[in-house]
Amino acid sequence: MTKILFSDKLDNCVERWKSAGLTVIGPVQRANISTYAAVEHASEFDFGLVLPDRSIKDLFFPQSEPMLRYTIKKESIDTDECLPPSGPRIIFGARPCDASGMAIDDPLFGWDYKDEYWFQRRNESVIVTIACTKADDFCMCTSLNMAPDSTKGSDILLRPLAGNKGWLVEELTNRGREAFKTIADILQESSDLPAPLAVVEKKFDLDACVAWLQNPENFESRFWKEISMRCIGCASCTYLCPTCHCFDIQDEGDTYTGIRRKNWDSCSFALFTMHTSGHNPRSTQSARWRQRIMHKFNYFPGKFSVNSCSGCGRCSRQCPVDMGITETLQEISTLSL
Amino acid sequence: MKIVARHDEAPGVRTMKLEFQDAADHELFKETYRTGMFGLYGVYGEGESTFCVASPETRKDYIECTFRQSGRVTSALANADIGDLITFRGPYGNRFPIEEFHGKNLLFVSGGIALPPTRSVIWSCLDQRDKFGKVTIVYGARSVADLVYKHELEEWQERSDVDLVLTVDPGGESPDWKNRIGFVPTVLEEAAPSPENCIAVICGPPIMIKFTLISLKKLGFDESNVYTTLENRMKCGLGKCGRCNVGSVYVCKEGPVFTAAEVSLMPASDL
Repeated sequence: MTKILFSDKLDNCVERWKSAGLTVIGPVQRANISTYAAVEHASEFDFGLVLPDRSIKDLFFPQSEPMLRYTIKKESIDTDECLPPSGPRIIFGARPCDASGMAIDDPLFGWDYKDEYWFQRRNESVIVTIACTKADDFCMCTSLNMAPDSTKGSDILLRPLAGNKGWLVEELTNRGREAFKTIADILQESSDLPAPLAVVEKKFDLDACVAWLQNPENFESRFWKEISMRCIGCASCTYLCPTCHCFDIQDEGDTYTGIRRKNWDSCSFALFTMHTSGHNPRSTQSARWRQRIMHKFNYFPGKFSVNSCSGCGRCSRQCPVDMGITETLQEISTLSL
Repeated sequence: MKIVARHDEAPGVRTMKLEFQDAADHELFKETYRTGMFGLYGVYGEGESTFCVASPETRKDYIECTFRQSGRVTSALANADIGDLITFRGPYGNRFPIEEFHGKNLLFVSGGIALPPTRSVIWSCLDQRDKFGKVTIVYGARSVADLVYKHELEEWQERSDVDLVLTVDPGGESPDWKNRIGFVPTVLEEAAPSPENCIAVICGPPIMIKFTLISLKKLGFDESNVYTTLENRMKCGLGKCGRCNVGSVYVCKEGPVFTAAEVSLMPASDL
């Protein structure tokens, strides 16, 4: 016998969590884009999506956020550090690839200097993940040694029952258990079996790709130029990626007051690495795409022992010119034969 | 930090002397700062720029920085007056391990606006001169006007315990120029310092570094005895924002100081 959360009881849960002071967030459709956002009622959730267009990264590392406010006075400069708005949250209905993406970035934001912005939000969030029973052609979690029911980064894993009736509840962490205590009486015991998981076909041999990437001879391979010839450097792949974490720091304001902001940036942009002198270490789009692939599958794992990719496939799904990690690693798989 | 002095080194190149406003910050700087480290200098409303701390680790009552006015932040810094406040974050990064250089001869090779990081090491060593052997400095710029720290170059030229070789690129000489004419790597090869028991510290634009490394190899220098500092674009200085990476190396955390042996392991075309 396992605990079950029935779909028709979800609104009660949302009410319960809200009265317990939690902001309830989940997958929703908003103005032609699907994303994770705060809701008032369970009816706003859209669980029919394979994956929202935008990842849950936005909830932990917003596209733009203030770091400090400054006021320049005659004799002094007043500064006010801005920490993210505080408050516990429950993210209901994350996908396993999104949840694991946050866990992948923890060591990056935590090495040496601990990023308060990231960890405050991480510590205040309960991630309730729903295992996938649907996948599309772009999903590639299995190629990254993950699965439609991976638990990495999740506090609770829900397995859908057949016919959208509800979910089997697996409590994974104390934080998850705490959040589900508030709805303990809403959960029911049942012997219903979960619906079959999505079948995600393996698209490339990761080990072979990594071996090819680690061979220094391949750094100057013609392959990089060929694969990235059609890249227009729009950076959609990096913005939608749950694990891409590069940012810029910019001041916005008038002469006397303003805000220093942390904004997403991207290794796809030519200006990203451009020196003042005009020298640019990564001056071509192929060098920039190579950097992105090498960083995710060679450099990042070398430092933090985990690939910087959770297999969500957004880079390929949303790419305006049909290239992404999947296409690149599929090609590398054939090169490394 | 308060600007307490400033002067122009060359057209568009300025040095500023900065003093801490907070005693605790100053103490922390004194504890942490070693030559080779860098900082982010900023003006609210304009942003921050990364450059080295140009003053040596033997003089920690203040910070000196030298920069070329070329973008938004450096223009704002150049417009700042004596008495104005600017921001400083740092010191960040690793350092030149100068205690490992004790008892050895030192060769400094530098070009143009890259003298400031070299100068920090030079004075850190000259301020404890008896701990090191022969000191040779090879410095060049595009033209006579572009040479920075002109007053210090004169001082080094007059010192009997320093060998200074000055050069300007062909065409950059003035009628009264009495020093060498030629590119730094060529002049270095002519000066032919001995690699015996010698540490080389080289800083310059990427193209100068590339050819200087070749010249040093010809002269017989071992890659592990050659140090350089990589001046990549940075924003956070804390190993997060991603732009200073060369291969798997975060220049802001594992650098900016590397031996030529370490640099040779990095992907050359990403430097």
